[in-house]
Amino acid sequence: MDLRGWRSKIAEEAIQGLDRPSPYGVDIDVSSYATEEARYRIDVDSIEKIGVDLKSKARYLQVNQAYFEYLSKIPGVEVYKLEDYIENYPDEAMEYVWRLLRPSMDKYVAIGALRGMGGYFIKVKKNTKVEDPIMACMFLSSYGLQAPHNVIIVEDGAEATVYTGCTIAPETVGLHVGLSEFYVGRNAKLRFVMVHSWNRATHVRPRTAVNVSENGEYISYYANLSNVKTFQAYPRVYLGSGAHAYLASIVLGVDDADIDIGTAAVLENGNGGVEIVSRNVARDSSRIVMRASIVGRSGRGHIDCRGLMLSNESVMATIPELHAKSPNAILTHEASIGRLAEDEIYYLMSKGFTRDEAVGILVRGFIAIDVKGIPDRVRSYIETIERLTAEKAM
Amino acid sequence: MALGHDNVLYVDRLTVGVGGKIVLRDVSFSVGRNSILFLLGPNGAGKTSLLRALIGYPNYNVISGKILFDGEDITSSPMEHRVSRGLAVAHQIPPKLTGIKARNLLAEICRRTGCSVDEIADELEINYLLNREFGKGFSGGELKRIEIATIVAQRPKLAFIDEPDSGVDIDSVAIIARALRKLINVSTYGSIAIITHSASISKYIRPTHVCVMISGSVKFCGDSSILDEVFSHGFKGMAE
Repeated sequence: MDLRGWRSKIAEEAIQGLDRPSPYGVDIDVSSYATEEARYRIDVDSIEKIGVDLKSKARYLQVNQAYFEYLSKIPGVEVYKLEDYIENYPDEAMEYVWRLLRPSMDKYVAIGALRGMGGYFIKVKKNTKVEDPIMACMFLSSYGLQAPHNVIIVEDGAEATVYTGCTIAPETVGLHVGLSEFYVGRNAKLRFVMVHSWNRATHVRPRTAVNVSENGEYISYYANLSNVKTFQAYPRVYLGSGAHAYLASIVLGVDDADIDIGTAAVLENGNGGVEIVSRNVARDSSRIVMRASIVGRSGRGHIDCRGLMLSNESVMATIPELHAKSPNAILTHEASIGRLAEDEIYYLMSKGFTRDEAVGILVRGFIAIDVKGIPDRVRSYIETIERLTAEKAM
Repeated sequence: MALGHDNVLYVDRLTVGVGGKIVLRDVSFSVGRNSILFLLGPNGAGKTSLLRALIGYPNYNVISGKILFDGEDITSSPMEHRVSRGLAVAHQIPPKLTGIKARNLLAEICRRTGCSVDEIADELEINYLLNREFGKGFSGGELKRIEIATIVAQRPKLAFIDEPDSGVDIDSVAIIARALRKLINVSTYGSIAIITHSASISKYIRPTHVCVMISGSVKFCGDSSILDEVFSHGFKGMAE
């Protein structure tokens, strides 16, 4: 199939999904976001606040659907805007783009397929081990839709960290639909850190699918550290034989945010493993649904979902699912929701902290996840994220 | 018992309730300068309740009586104020704090007082615990040592130490006793109050004063000879 025919097929499929709501989360009228303003503004402060280094050796920056900047000075690492990659390498692109996500999956993917622009293409070549994080930033500076389509390929034996920050200008009304398809090759390792900092008028619908090949490893750390109007995501990770994944998420609900977030993993045949860890903090009158699902034919899978209620008006639910498709799968889960223990608050107050300080320390402890196998630099990013999240939770 | 210049802490006929139940009744005692007070009593005598009432736990309601510390009436003061004035308590069993590394908690306290986490860790031989979650999976001795470490970090004027010798191995008691001596040395008043039901810490630290607490009240106070009487007759015999 040639590129034109491929694009037409994608568009036809997408049209079929335009009226299909997501099975989860609040339904949004996407048609009101189908246009966007051409003008844009880059807010470096906001971008740096979420940890993105705009001077990094390999990076991608997108503002609205209007401004794109990308480069890579790291040998063995390619960074493109997705459309440029497709134009330059159409045959290869058709092997990876729209392979893990279906354009008709729901109305958000469909609008992204039809109206989205940009998104990064990152390729880490075979056996290349990259120490410096590859940085990406999606910034929404004015009203409308931002729907980048991102593809990461970490080829066999390669190793890399991708750090993505998505943020928005204050009081901007927008719909962010990030479409992401990641491929982790055999014996390869991808560490993916994503930080979201939206505002109280943003609707966010990321759609992510990851394929981890034989003996590959995928470590993901997601944090939502600010307001959002509505948020719904249920990324899915497919693990091949001997592949492992550690999928962590930290979610903060403030004001009247409506958040429905999950992580799903599929353990194919072979001795793979997955651990899904989520920490969710609900403040004000926010509503959070935490989902997690593991489907296993073999290997080991564990879900650890915890919710912390910081207000009497917030609502929280946890819905873990385990599906064993053979007796060779060992699947477990633990889930809890509750408030901070008064005894722990009093204990810290007796050590000289104010009540607010004591609560801050305990919240930070609650969201602290010991992600194993990550470089010190990424660990320091995560510590910063934990600090910012705890501050916002107060 | 009158409030004299030598009294660092003076508790006068203190009655305290928790959730509608009286846990302390007409408790009176004092801690003077250069005083090592042992507050003895059997399990359930109200020793831990007294300590929580002194530091100002919000759910411990003072029904009557007074607490004077460092020349100030702190009976109605919030916990934050009492701690800032230099009063500290080492809890019998500190809570396990999820996700909070022992090092980070000590560092937060040291940030206020200017202490060194590593020096304190050396002193209490807890270096190997610093990167673990506070209290999680710690043995009895480790829990005591980390708790005493938080008190050493606070550099209080007067510390109340709850049961430093219960559920603790002999080696840990010796280490804890060494740290308590340091607390006495850094105390502005050279004083400390140790709450204990077994008094095995007395092998390392000899009290200058002893009070015996039974059924929510301080029954009597005196010099260190009371300790020997308790060892000879037990609390029951003393009460009789």
